[in-house]
Amino acid sequence: MRRTLVLLAVVSIASAVPVDAAKKKYSHEEYFEHYEGTKTCLTCHEDEAVTFFHSQHYQWTGETPAIVNADGEKLGKKNTINDFCTNPIPAWIGITKNSRGEILSQGCSKCHAGLGKMPSPELSREQLENIDCLICHASGYNRNLYENEDGSLEWKPILWKNQAGLDSVSKRIGNPKRTSCLRCHSGSGGGPNYKRGDIEYELADTDRSYDVHMGTDGGDMACTDCHGGENHRMQGRGVDLMGSDSPERLRCDNGVCHDSEPHAKELINRHSARVDCTVCHIPTFAKADATDMIRDWSTPAYNEAKDKHVATITMAKDVVPEIGWYNGTVWAQLPGVPITTQSDGVVGMVIPQGSLTDPESKLFAFKVHRGRMPVLTEDRWLLPINVEEFFADGDIDGAVREAAHVLYGLEDIDYEWVDVKRYMGIYHGVQPAETALRCLDCHGPDGRLDWAGLGYETDPLAAVLAPSH
Amino acid sequence: MSRTKLMIVVVLAGIVALSFASGATAAKKKIKGQDVYKEFCKPCHEVDSDNGEYTPMSLIMDQWETFFEEDFEETHKELNDPNNDNTPVTDVLTEEEFEALAKWTIDHAADSEQPMTCG
Repeated sequence: MRRTLVLLAVVSIASAVPVDAAKKKYSHEEYFEHYEGTKTCLTCHEDEAVTFFHSQHYQWTGETPAIVNADGEKLGKKNTINDFCTNPIPAWIGITKNSRGEILSQGCSKCHAGLGKMPSPELSREQLENIDCLICHASGYNRNLYENEDGSLEWKPILWKNQAGLDSVSKRIGNPKRTSCLRCHSGSGGGPNYKRGDIEYELADTDRSYDVHMGTDGGDMACTDCHGGENHRMQGRGVDLMGSDSPERLRCDNGVCHDSEPHAKELINRHSARVDCTVCHIPTFAKADATDMIRDWSTPAYNEAKDKHVATITMAKDVVPEIGWYNGTVWAQLPGVPITTQSDGVVGMVIPQGSLTDPESKLFAFKVHRGRMPVLTEDRWLLPINVEEFFADGDIDGAVREAAHVLYGLEDIDYEWVDVKRYMGIYHGVQPAETALRCLDCHGPDGRLDWAGLGYETDPLAAVLAPSH
Repeated sequence: MSRTKLMIVVVLAGIVALSFASGATAAKKKIKGQDVYKEFCKPCHEVDSDNGEYTPMSLIMDQWETFFEEDFEETHKELNDPNNDNTPVTDVLTEEEFEALAKWTIDHAADSEQPMTCG
């Protein structure tokens, strides 16, 4: 009896679950008895599944209105090459283990909202049943990669052997929670905050001093408050993302939340015409977890603790963004075309378009990710890398050749390494007014802006204050 | 003393006693639920075990609560632990160990934010 009393206290404190949790009703409690995979959802939601099938989150490609050199082609992570894990096709799904038998990785499909099959542009029943509705919509749902009896691999609920537990979780349906989104958007690229820099796990439960919008003592907004859209088409797109789910740009100052003159002081409002909110209100990023700033694939390293081969990665924390002009469009280095080298001798993977003289441009805050990537010696095409194989054996040459074969169908290639850079928009970790940048953070002798690089003759404030002749 | 006053005194005394007990527990070396699981549970519930494989992520939080509150005693009452001098399984854990095991298991259940096997 004494043990039971202690346990009752533990249970109620430890799990923070009401005592009558077992009796609580979930949103889909009445709609079905047993969850039998996606077909259970399709019984009522086939139309929604079709909209999701066509979305970026499923296809990993999309319309490209913001890519100036896309020529109308649908693009996305599936058919382009990036300077993080390069391309998902050669390493879509698999269980890669180290010499100790520990799992190193499970393929890029770990972050695809499907059950393991490659997304196809052709709609079919098989593709609809491949959608993993629960990964975004079921609170408490978790999955892992399992091998079926026929040897195929499939992402399944970790509760697949526990029907009663699975039935409970699969009925907890709602809009995606922060943790659902952050599971992939924070964890991508190899570790917490490696890729994006400003989308940290910290956002799951934070305060306004970290992010004035998502802080529970601030706006307490969820990801879907800004990014939710109709028919599974998300609002907003990272600067370096190829596809767009929605044609409209997601803006802070479009009048829905803030108007174009949101400040009390007219002097600051005047800045809003050419300076995006992010420049002043996101003074630094990677505030909780360091982010990957340079990934050199040409110089393999070995992580002894994990018994894992990795690229040489330079991490940084509390990074000051680079500021550049951006008019909502970018130029992208596409696969199968010769690389284009920028004036600094570096290949631009994604370069924002815009300038001082372009009235559509504003200054924005960017993370600039740098790296070293393979290119074909003769044709100068960018090459992907089969990173999963490399993690286990450290054979970077074999990983490049294997990926070149999978993506381009090439054999016996000659390749070399080039320096690359990618501009990524910084939009999260927004500071309230009291901790935003002040005038002298940009203007004055120690200001953070490279005025000449931005096209100005000098600091505009200095020009105004200079004595006239 | 009225019956109501007597009940209040008893409840207050209970709270004080629990506070002391809690303080005493905190002063001791912290027991890790994961260690308890590995020593006492895993030997009979590992992968492919005839007794069923159980790790925290085998069940959801509600199921673990029900198990520790209602089912543990019933399902384990006639079993002895061969690794602990055949002590009855229901007596082999101290209260602190039982408490740590329950907390760790529930914290890492299948529907928690950090589902775990035994590590």
